[in-house]
Amino acid sequence: MLLPLLVLVACSREVEETPLYRQYASRADLTVAQVAGFQLNDSVKVDVVILVADDSVAWQSLKEELDIRTSEGVTSWMGNIDHPQQRVKRSERPAWRAMAVHGDMTVAFYRMDDNMQYEALVDYQMENIKRSETDKKELK
Amino acid sequence: MEHKMTFDDLWEQEERQALKKRLLHEYPAWKRHRARRRALAAIALMAVVVLAPFTIHLSPSRGYDSVCCNRTTFPESHWVDLSAAILTIQTI
Repeated sequence: MLLPLLVLVACSREVEETPLYRQYASRADLTVAQVAGFQLNDSVKVDVVILVADDSVAWQSLKEELDIRTSEGVTSWMGNIDHPQQRVKRSERPAWRAMAVHGDMTVAFYRMDDNMQYEALVDYQMENIKRSETDKKELK
Repeated sequence: MEHKMTFDDLWEQEERQALKKRLLHEYPAWKRHRARRRALAAIALMAVVVLAPFTIHLSPSRGYDSVCCNRTTFPESHWVDLSAAILTIQTI
């Protein structure tokens, strides 16, 4: 009876917080989440940090901090692993693949440690774009 | 609505009671078996209550290993929101 309980407690242990998560976790105007092992496909997983602004003031402030100058659609960039607001070359590893969605006042950072993760993320996003296009057509 | 018991109902009830008494009296093994069954049911119920929070972390259908969040109290719907946030970003 105790063994499964111990196994479950061990499995549900606290996730190791990344510096990026810690940097924003104390902010009262943001919901900050760190998702470990987000499954992109059968074999590739990535860690993700998500920042969701609670209101438009918080979103404006976050945009300034992250040097986001657009205000529509989706803004994406490759960010330095220690300073994600700093843009780096697409080939740099490790790095954060950042995506800001203005409509949702959300920024998601995907940790890219190798090219396999980068390719899997691009494939995953392409698949989703295709799927969302198909859904739109079906709705029409 | 009043329900009147028929003679057959009463007879059946009496028979059931008598049988139960006989079982308890004459078959202590059956009594032990019943106690054991009740104990197992109680343990199973306790296990469900104790382990329920962990299932949130372990649910494989979510497509990730674990999540931590800066909001100290978040209901299940918040987890769903978080995973929806990822999906929204992916789909745009």
